[in-house]
This record gives sequence, C-alpha cells and structure tokens, in this order.
Amino acid sequence: MRRSVILLLLLGAMELLRPLGSAGYGAQALLSFGFLILAAHTVGELAHASRVPKIVGYLVAGMIFGPSLLHVIGAEAIDRLEPVSDLAIALIAFLAGAELQWSEVRRRGVTFLKIMTVELAVCFAAIVALLYGMRGFVPFLATASDARVLAFCLLFASVAIVHSPAVTMALLSETRARGPVARTTLGVVLLTDVAVVLLFSGMLAIARAIAPPDDGGAALSLGMVIWEIGGALLVGVVLGAVVTGYLRFVGQELTFVAIIIALLGAEVASLLHVETLLTLITAGFVAENASRDGRGEALRHAMERSAAPIFVVFFAISGANIDLRGVGALVVLALPVVAVRLAAIWGGTRIGTWWAGMPKEEGRHVWMGLVSQAGVAIGLATVAAEAYPVLGEALRTLLLAVMAINQLFGPIFFRRALAASGEVTEEGADPAGRAPEPAPS
Amino acid sequence: MSSGLLLVLVVAAAYLAAHVAFEFLAKRFTIVSGAEYLVLGVLLGPEVSGLIGAGVLDSFGPFMMLAIGWMGAAIGTRLDLAAMLRIRAPFYQVAFLQSALSLAVVAGVMVLLLSYALALPYDAVVVPGLVLGCIAAASSLSGLGVLVRRRLQRRPLVRQLQVASGMDACIAIAAFGLLLCIAHPGPPGDVRPPTPTEWAVISVGIGCLGGALFHLFLAGERNRDRLFISLTGAITLASGAAAYVRLSPLVPALLIGAILVNTTKNRHEITQVIATVQRPLYFILLVFAGAAWQPTTRSSLIPILLFFVVRIVGKLGSARIAARVSGMLPAVGPDWGRGLLGQGSLAVAIALNYWTFDGSLLPNIVFTAALVSVLLTDVLSARFIQAAIRRHDESTGAQLLSDADLPVGRL
Repeated sequence: MRRSVILLLLLGAMELLRPLGSAGYGAQALLSFGFLILAAHTVGELAHASRVPKIVGYLVAGMIFGPSLLHVIGAEAIDRLEPVSDLAIALIAFLAGAELQWSEVRRRGVTFLKIMTVELAVCFAAIVALLYGMRGFVPFLATASDARVLAFCLLFASVAIVHSPAVTMALLSETRARGPVARTTLGVVLLTDVAVVLLFSGMLAIARAIAPPDDGGAALSLGMVIWEIGGALLVGVVLGAVVTGYLRFVGQELTFVAIIIALLGAEVASLLHVETLLTLITAGFVAENASRDGRGEALRHAMERSAAPIFVVFFAISGANIDLRGVGALVVLALPVVAVRLAAIWGGTRIGTWWAGMPKEEGRHVWMGLVSQAGVAIGLATVAAEAYPVLGEALRTLLLAVMAINQLFGPIFFRRALAASGEVTEEGADPAGRAPEPAPS
Repeated sequence: MSSGLLLVLVVAAAYLAAHVAFEFLAKRFTIVSGAEYLVLGVLLGPEVSGLIGAGVLDSFGPFMMLAIGWMGAAIGTRLDLAAMLRIRAPFYQVAFLQSALSLAVVAGVMVLLLSYALALPYDAVVVPGLVLGCIAAASSLSGLGVLVRRRLQRRPLVRQLQVASGMDACIAIAAFGLLLCIAHPGPPGDVRPPTPTEWAVISVGIGCLGGALFHLFLAGERNRDRLFISLTGAITLASGAAAYVRLSPLVPALLIGAILVNTTKNRHEITQVIATVQRPLYFILLVFAGAAWQPTTRSSLIPILLFFVVRIVGKLGSARIAARVSGMLPAVGPDWGRGLLGQGSLAVAIALNYWTFDGSLLPNIVFTAALVSVLLTDVLSARFIQAAIRRHDESTGAQLLSDADLPVGRL
C-alpha cells in the first residue's frame, strides 16, 4: 500500500516536470523506464501478496501505464526499450536450456515427447475445427474461398499452439519449484518450441499449395527451415562449448558473462538466420551439462540473479505492448479460441500423460503449465503476415488478442498447478523450505 | 560481421582481458584498468572505424544518462555521515580548500586560455572554462583501491586522499550542476523559463524528493534482487527526470545515494548493490565516451594540452596551499596532491553530460580535454598515490604520524 502511494506521488511529480522537459538523448524513455520498473515491481509484489504470480503483476503494470491506458510510457519509449526485451528473451532461453539435465532428458525425454505430440495434435485439430466452423462469423473469412479459409485455419492453429518458455522460466525462477510437474512442463514447453517451428513451416508450405498468395508472398523453403533448426542446434552447441571452455579456464565474472552470452547468442543467431531461442536453449543445455565440478551450476545461478530484474522489465514491456483496444475489438472472436485451446490442452495433456505412464496425481496438473503463450508465436505470425499480406495481418491481430488473454491467465494457471501438486506452497516457498527469492549473496 | 556482434565481442573481450590481465598488472605494476576502454571507444566510434555509428550512439543515449546518474549515486553512498563524523575536521578543511582552489584556478586559467587561443570573447568561454574547472577538480579513487589492499589505509595521508577525493567529487558535481542551471537553455514551448535559482531548486528537489520517497519505498528491503530492482528503478527515474528537464543527473542521483545511505537500515546492502553495477557501467560509459569523441580544430589543441598541464599544476599547488593554511603539512607532506592527479569515472561523466547538454559552448574541446586527461592519468593513478606516499615517507622519516599528531579541529 505504501509503495502504491509513493508510486502515485512519483507519477504526480513526473506530470509536474512534463512541461519543462524535452526528449533529447532518450531522456523521456529513461524517465518512463525508471517509472515502469518501480511500477511493475510494486504491482508484482501486490500480486504476490494476493497469491497471483508476480509476472502477472508486471504485465498488468505494463498495461496500466503503457500506451493503451494511462500513456505514462509512450510507444516511442517502448520502441527504445526493445533491446532490453531482446536481451531478456535471450537470457531466458539460455537459462531454460541450462535447467535441462542430460540425465533427465535421457530418463524422461520419451515422456516429454509423448505428452507434447498428443497435446499439440489435439490442440491443433481443435483450433482448426473451431475456426473452420466459425468462418461465417469471422468478418475476414466470411467471403473468402474454402481453400483460403483452410489455409488461414492451418496457419493460425500452427501458431496458436505455441507455449511460452519465458513465462515457464519466470514462474520456476519465482517459485523455485523443481518437482515433476515443473520439470515436465519445462521439458514439454522447450520441446514444443522446436516442434512448432517445424509444424508451422510445413503448414505454410501446405497453405501456399492450396491457396497461393496473390502477390507470391514471402518464400519459405524447406532448406531454410532445416537451416533455421539445424543451424540453431549447431550454433548453440558451438556457443555452449565456448562457454564451457570459459567456465573451465577462466570462470570469473559470471553475471557479466551471462549477459554477454545472451547478447552474443542473439546477435550470432540473427546474423546467421537461425532460430534465436533454440540457439540459446541449446547453448545453455550444452554449457550446463558439459561443465564439471559445479561450474555450470554456478553460471546458472549467476544467470538467475541477472534474470530476476530482467523478468520485471521484460514482462512489464510485454504488458505495455498489449494493445487493449485491439484486444477489446476482437474479444468476441478471441474468447472461443482461448476456451477451445484451453480445453484441448487439458484433453491432450491428460491423454499424453496417460500414454507416457506418468503418475495420475502428477499428470493431471501438467496442462495448466501449458496455457501461456508468447515469444515465438509473434515471430511466426509475422512470417504468416508476410506470406499472406491481407489474411496474415488479420491472423496476426487475432493471435495477439488470444495471446494477450493467455499471457495474463497462463501464469495464474501454472502457479495453481504447482501449488496443487505440492511443489510450491501458497506462500510461495517450495516445500523443501527454500526461500522463493534467491538469498543475498 | 555486423557492428552489433563486433561490439559485443570487443566489449566482452576487453572486459575479460581487463579483468584478468589488469588484475595481474594492478598487483604487479600498480596499474589501474579503465582508460583502455576509452581508446576502444574511439577506435569503434564514427571517427575511426564507424562500427558504433551515430545511430547506435543515439539509441544508447538513455544508457549513457543512466550510467552518469549511477556514478552520482555511487558517490552519494560514500557520504555516510556516521562514518564521516569519525574523521577529524582538518582533513575536511584541507580537502575543501584544495578542491575549491583547484576548481577556481583551473577555471580561471582556462577561461583566459580559451579566449586567447580561440579569439573568443570572455562570455563565450566562461561556461566551458568553468566546466573544465569542475572536471579538473574531480579526482579518481581507483588507484587508492589498488593500494588499499596493501594496508596503507591507516595512514593520515591516505585518509586525506580519501576525504579529498570525496570532497572533489561533491564540489565538482555541485558546481557542474549549478552551472547547468545557470546556462540552461530554457524549456521548450510557451512555458515561462524558470530562473537559474528555480532550476537549482528543481535539481535539488528531484534528488531530495526522490531520496525521501525511495527511502520509504526501499525501507527495510534486504533481499538483494528486490533491492536491485528498486534501486535500478529509483536511479533510472531520477536520472531520467533530471535529463528530461536538461539538468545534470549527477546532482539528484548523488542526493538520492546520500539520503538512502544515511536514512535506511539496509545501507550496506544498498552500497553493495550500487557498487556492483558501477564498474561495468563505468566501462560502458568509457566506451561510449570514446565513441562520441569528435576531433577538434587545430587551434584548440593548445588549450586541450594546456588543460592537462594546468590541472596538474593547479592540483599540486592548491593541495600544498591547502595543507599549509590548515597546518596539515607535517601530516600529509607538501606533495600529497600527487595522489589526486588521477582522473576517472566522474571526469568522464561530467564531460559526457556537458557534451550532451543542449546549447553547450565548445563541447568538443571540453570533452576532448577531459578524455585526454583521463587517458593520461587514470592508468597511472595508483602510481601517483604511491609517489605521494614515498615522497611523504622520505621527507618525514616514514610513518611517524597518526591521527593523534594532527592539529585539533572541530567539525
């Protein structure tokens, strides 16, 4: 409460300064950024006190103070903070990869694969069926030919099934949950990230075959897809090996190194046109598992320390990026998609966990960790928009509305799953008694 | 290879090389790390390789302002009143006199020199001359950091250097902040332009109000992560607010650091968090300061080089005069000012802040003069201090004096 009052006072002080200022050297962006950090932190703590994940608080703060509502942080300031978002995504991806242990992949890889396969298949089919059935109520599909409608449905569904590694990592970092539900969710989410890129590429090729774009659209060849995935694995392994070498022979300044790795990985991936997330996930996986004597773990802890403040900024910016008016306009269309996706995830995961032989008590909670979506979905929707300039743009807008809803409620679901499975207490500490936040070092 | 990738690689390699190699060099040869980043920045900047273009510099503008503000906050955390009260008054007297004298002497001489060398009227060179005076007053503690490990910190001379360095920072920041209030170009639009006094009140107000509010905001927070988030927000907001109204972020950030360290129970954690980030930010600041550098005209070379000489003479002379006037010559020796010759983060921060200031006069000359001075003195700052101690030992028969031998004074 005290912090909320202080926040309001700061907001008032900023308003007093507004007529005296100018935006030179990004000063306005800096001012907005400072306020956004404090606001997100405050709302995050309020959310935590209400047993809601902090990241939901960060997102809400971004939405409230972003361009959609109070406009304390303008669109220009958000654009200027884009590098911070990129860094955050890269860091989260590396951290996600570092969370995976080789022994766990060997032991439970098949389980992850089975759950993911069924869940994706059910989800994909359900969304395609829903959109195809709803075509008469969707303005931009009502007059389109059958082939174009089918192309749209396939593309939309292949993007809508994406999960969010960022939300998963943020929640695991916040709660320190390390139980089977947490580990299975993380494994499935990371695996889905790879599978969705392949699936989307395949669907884009089918869509182009059944409904060629009017202007030819952007091309996406099989070679490009293979390179995007294979190249990412290759670059990730090399980067991971470099990190392992550094940890072995130098092993100092790990926090700084963590940030440099994330920046470097993102730059290299962008330069070589390979999948950024997969590159960094692979690098994190290799660095963690190839290092000996706890060096990989030391780097992971350093990254977790750097990631805590970056999560605040990343999710607050994500919240500010949500166009509430756009979501409001499409909410009637988006809500059925959200509901069907939710039901399909539930059904698909239940079948998947049963097939994988996962204990019933654990398996029944996994679906709740798969609701969130972000990151890769936006990138894929942009590719679709480039391939089909008219329909693709509609797809992107609808998808952003769906994502906004899922992004907001997904973390709440996941936290409930962790609490229900006993991997985290309602107060936030895990049952082993560790604090929910990293201890001062 | 893309400029972004190269920048990441070079900064990473430089940082790690500096960390690993300079750790060794600092121990073995008493050399301080830092100036190499300045050279790196110049090499990467638009004037040499162009890898950091003007667009990149502009996009990193907010980070530069944040780094400047962070320097101010780090200096503010050194103003712990409880610790300061344990130091006897003559140390402050000498430090204040030395600092004020060196600022005044260098500013005065530089006004004359700039006017003469560039054939400009006095009113066109007063502000740049005064800014150079502020930069000259600033001295670096990084050399002392290397020597403190050598258990020299108990000596009165070393204590005097610590006090003087802090005083230099405070006076340089206060004078520079005031100068920007006086030379302020005014707000855009139809708003009545505030007077310099009003700008000064706004500048101090941002710091005091921010300090008070952030004191309440951070109260009792000991978790390092949450503290880091809150402090980052606080310093970013204060720096952004000052930069937004075209004032120096150094003043409010210094006040916030000082208020927090004196009013909160978690002062040690706050100081630690700010110090942890200060070093990487300083290196980033140096790289971008180097990249922002633009060559000056041939006629300005003389004042730039003379600034370096005038500062050294001014520092040594004012240090000697201050010690003599305060009766501290036996305790610190006549050449104690040598220890203050090193320049570092604050000089760069002031110069960069002036360079980005709207309507600044002769910004390139001021900026280049500051960079030259930092480049030539930062690496050797530990050696300067060592030389001051050695000269003092030779003249006094070594290590005779302790605090008890100092003249009695009151705070």
